[in-house]
Amino acid sequence: MNDKQTLVELRSVSKGFGDSSTRVEVLRDLDMEVSRGALLAVVGPSGVGKSTLLHLIGLLDRPDEGHIALDGSDVGDLDGETRARLRNRTIGFVFQHHYLLDELDARDNIALPLRIAGEGAVAARARADELLDAVSLDDRAHHFPDQLSGGEQQRVAVARALAMKPRLLLADEPTGNLDRENSEQVFGLVRELHLLAGLTSIIVTHDEELARMCDGTFRLAPAGERFEYV
Amino acid sequence: MPAELHLARRYLLGLRRRTHVATVTLISMVGLGLGVLALVVTLALLDGFQSTIRAEIVNRAAHARVVPIDGRQLENPSELASVLQGEFPQVELVQIVRGTCLVSSLTDAVPASVVGRSDALEVSVDRLLAARLAIGRSDDVQVISPRHRLTPMGPLPIRVRTEIARVHVPEPGAETGSVRLPLELAQRLLWGGPVVEAIDLRDVEDPWRLGARVRGVLADRGVPVRVDGLEELHRPLLLALALERVMIFLAVGLMLVVAALNLLCNVAMVAAEKRIDLSVLAGIGLSPRSLRRLFLLLGVGIGMVGSVVGASLGVGISLLLDTTAALPLPRGVFVVSSVPFRVDPATVVIVMAVALALAAAASWLPSRMIARREPAEGLRFE
Repeated sequence: MNDKQTLVELRSVSKGFGDSSTRVEVLRDLDMEVSRGALLAVVGPSGVGKSTLLHLIGLLDRPDEGHIALDGSDVGDLDGETRARLRNRTIGFVFQHHYLLDELDARDNIALPLRIAGEGAVAARARADELLDAVSLDDRAHHFPDQLSGGEQQRVAVARALAMKPRLLLADEPTGNLDRENSEQVFGLVRELHLLAGLTSIIVTHDEELARMCDGTFRLAPAGERFEYV
Repeated sequence: MPAELHLARRYLLGLRRRTHVATVTLISMVGLGLGVLALVVTLALLDGFQSTIRAEIVNRAAHARVVPIDGRQLENPSELASVLQGEFPQVELVQIVRGTCLVSSLTDAVPASVVGRSDALEVSVDRLLAARLAIGRSDDVQVISPRHRLTPMGPLPIRVRTEIARVHVPEPGAETGSVRLPLELAQRLLWGGPVVEAIDLRDVEDPWRLGARVRGVLADRGVPVRVDGLEELHRPLLLALALERVMIFLAVGLMLVVAALNLLCNVAMVAAEKRIDLSVLAGIGLSPRSLRRLFLLLGVGIGMVGSVVGASLGVGISLLLDTTAALPLPRGVFVVSSVPFRVDPATVVIVMAVALALAAAASWLPSRMIARREPAEGLRFE
């Protein structure tokens, strides 16, 4: 955990679910390093632990064993408040099903991480307007999620993930629910913003074609088998 | 505006977007509102009756009474009376003797309280005695003292035959009949001389604090007497009224507890419905403490709307029933002609505060459970 070029580092990470009788080991002894500025695809069959891996890196869950470091600092033992602050300021999430809040319009959804960080309403909305412009949805600012198409919802989700100018972007099958055209549009947007903002991005995907467009691929295999880093 | 307050407000305002949550939330609001309404109306009714009783006490009884510390006779009552009159010129002051005599009419005789008052110019009996002896205004009665005088025929009780000038309303709480006599006449019957047992004072401007004021003045002057104010003179009745108020508050307040339990279920249901939203909020940085606060604010928000609406309706209904005298009472049985309602703003504020506190307590448990979850739990099986 010492390379200055490494932003994310996992060492001997294991994670399982269930009690002793129904325990399922999802990740076992996993090592992983992600360099700054990388656009990494995580691929593998269903149930292999791709989302779990993303949740662990994104501090949404804690490993049963092993160490996770962000920017050289071990984040395993941080309390809930500190982890929340790190998620807010360092990490941007894009989920498979956009997961926008139904009660907020597109602009307020994007402004939400800024409001959580303590920004005033006016400043947060101004930044949200910039991002709406960046994802070409400036005319949809006051539309609620159920008034947007699937592709538009996911673009709003991407804009929300970038609201706090994070260093790390985590996307869990961001194109999983979209048709080919919208998939390419959203993925193209992610890649463009990744380059523009100088992000480090980890994208979980089933789509081998999209994975090939990334800088590298991390292929997860079922627990007990070796994983492959291409 | 903190993010959790912003979100709580949007959740409450955006309820129309989620019918199921909106319905159960509305039920919680209505439940709390009904509880507050019931409590406000019940306490207004109780306050109405109790304030009528208190007004009766103030109208008819002494506001303070000066009595000797030991024995029954006041020392130098005239001097004491002039001191009191000098200190409290606005106060009505009456010298009193009390005792029990046999009061007889042409057909019956019963023991009755005899009160001699320095302000009484004529003889009057209260309604209780008038009813027992079947007498009224202008009838003759004989008041027979327990004291005797020696006559050539042996000891005979001292007695007075007199005409009843009027029939008066009994004193609050009186159970036996009473006859009111001029002071000198009562002194002759009960003591045989110019004895005064008590000095009653009335101050219509400030009746409830008169006792304390008189007590302070006489203590400063070193006068060895006991002074009872309204609170002491009517302690059992006033304690019973206070106890009644507390018991009614607790009994009707149980409605609020039931409404709060309903709110707890509702908040837990909202938490279950919004499991993913909460994980996403945690994912974008809402801390466990803020999540807890968000749900507390939701519960308090529901409680606030319910209690404001319930209290407003309760106050409105109480004032309407009072001003329109919509609930009449039989004449001659009660001192008022319709059911009185009295809205005490402090009571309304207390009821609303209790409702809000219960709402906060009801949302505390689910908010604690939500804050303890790892954010990924809500996303794992989606």
